[in-house]
Amino acid sequence: MQQILYLIQKEFRQVFRDPSMLFIIFFAPIVQTTVLGLAITVDVKNIQTVITDYDNSTASLAIRRKFKNNPYFSVSGYVESPVQLREKMDGWGAQLAIVIPSHFERDLVRSQQPAIQVIVDGVDGNSAGIALGYALGVLSDYTIDVAMANPALAFSARRIPLVAPLARMWYNLDLESKNYMVPGLIAVLLTMVSLFLSSMGLVREKELGTLEQLMVTPIKTWQLILGKVSPFLILGFLGLAMMLLVAFVVFQLKVAGSLVLLFGLSALFLLTTLGLGILVSTLAHTQQQAMFISWFFMVFLVFMSGFLFPIKNMPHWVQLLTYLNPMRYFIIILREIFLKGSSLKFLLNEIFALVLFASTILTLSSLRFQKRVS
Amino acid sequence: MKFAPSNQPYDTGNFAVFTKNLEKQFGSFTAVKHVNLAVEQGEIFGFLGANGAGKTTAIRMLCGLLLPTSGSGTVAGFDVWRESEKIKQNIGYMSQKFSLYNDLTLAENVEFYGGVYGLNRKTIKEKRHELLDSLGLTASAGRLTRDMPLGYKQRLALGCALLHNPKIIFLDEPTAGVDPEARRNFWELIHELADKGKTVFVTTHYMDEAEYCNRVSIMYQGEIVALGSPQSLRHEYKKASMADVFIKLVDK
Repeated sequence: MQQILYLIQKEFRQVFRDPSMLFIIFFAPIVQTTVLGLAITVDVKNIQTVITDYDNSTASLAIRRKFKNNPYFSVSGYVESPVQLREKMDGWGAQLAIVIPSHFERDLVRSQQPAIQVIVDGVDGNSAGIALGYALGVLSDYTIDVAMANPALAFSARRIPLVAPLARMWYNLDLESKNYMVPGLIAVLLTMVSLFLSSMGLVREKELGTLEQLMVTPIKTWQLILGKVSPFLILGFLGLAMMLLVAFVVFQLKVAGSLVLLFGLSALFLLTTLGLGILVSTLAHTQQQAMFISWFFMVFLVFMSGFLFPIKNMPHWVQLLTYLNPMRYFIIILREIFLKGSSLKFLLNEIFALVLFASTILTLSSLRFQKRVS
Repeated sequence: MKFAPSNQPYDTGNFAVFTKNLEKQFGSFTAVKHVNLAVEQGEIFGFLGANGAGKTTAIRMLCGLLLPTSGSGTVAGFDVWRESEKIKQNIGYMSQKFSLYNDLTLAENVEFYGGVYGLNRKTIKEKRHELLDSLGLTASAGRLTRDMPLGYKQRLALGCALLHNPKIIFLDEPTAGVDPEARRNFWELIHELADKGKTVFVTTHYMDEAEYCNRVSIMYQGEIVALGSPQSLRHEYKKASMADVFIKLVDK
């Protein structure tokens, strides 16, 4: 036990003497959470919209007004011809176009179910889907208006929904992506810092030759690993505290659940990533190699975690692979605690997975990390 | 895991280091070939050879840092195959890099290694005073190690490797890159240790340092080509210095 305390003391002395380490642990999380938290947003707002109105009737004007008054759309103009419309779309001047055909009003009154064309710039599929959804919402809103004003028409048209859905978004009332993204971002940054710190920390001692010296002492492998992991666990907590501060102050987020639970489960996750770092350090001889191997893991951890891309959209076999990604569980835990205020009992599956990962990875790294040189 | 081919008892006597046909291969390259050694307790044993002769590989096998490919050996009576952790409790080791932490102060380095060797707080404090005092470094105790001259670092590193009072000390190229005066001071230190009954196993490629040893072995391409006291070797090869002896052996 005493040996471990000396290892921890040594590690802290080194960190607090190194300005670049202090930067990585305290300053970097603040800057990164702030800037990236603002940058990574999937909110679709101010959809640039053009309208071609071949009808110029009361009905088409009503539709135009609906789009104009909707906060998600920014109607940037009206175009006269398909050629102009294409020019607008080609020149990134519009993301969405509404084409109202001639005789729209006449056909509407005759219950001939006139069509309205909605054209969406599909380059960014996610935003396109969301924009289309909003546009359909506006149009169905208009249909309901017409039906209310003229019930007879509605029944003869036979396409008015008689049940109007009343949508409420629970947990994230305004569907603001920061509520969802900032907790995910915290998970990503925490993973990066802990993985790099632990893999580089051990490999640096390899490069300096001090690790060889430690290997000739009677210290046990598990003591050495614990002595390396614990300081970084504490430093990871400090980094987490900095990021939470940014979440509260800059993004006005509130943690709906328990902070104690959040820190406790973060510790569990950190044990996994720090253990992975040690595993990486057994594979690398130089800090540069450690960096490359860490990045290899990092890319998979981040992109297969559901942080940016929903796991349920992935091909089935890729979805199965994500179960092997500890970050997947941690992101769920963070989002649940932040947004839903979930308590321990709702997170048991994720906790069980993390316990399994932490113990497996730490065991594996202890086995691979031998008190011998290769 | 492969073990030594034979488990037949052999007479290790009371030797500090004893090896029989110790061998290490890396792939198809044999770094150390059937090395036979018997180092007496209290002896200063020089392990000479050019760079790349296999000295470091041999010393690493003896310190439990590397498993042999074949052959057998004991250090302080413990088996190099099976009891490497027991060996580590009984030896001090200093590598070519000195292995102090440059970003810790001198006192912090001593404390750290004392802690790692499992000494209690009181002993560490005593040892720290004693060690820094004997090196005349008490006034510099709070200075960062990176700011100290190499000669001081080297002697402090040796002191750290001796904190747990081991019976045998392995020194791998301890004087590489150190100025001549510091080298002589260091050898005085080695003799003081031998006077206290410690066995010193030291590798070097400076042939003049061989004269400071009780016995030397000369290693060439992984093999021991000569073994004996410096006087007897000079006599045997009819040369005035160990450097000439070495050149003659290598030219053969």
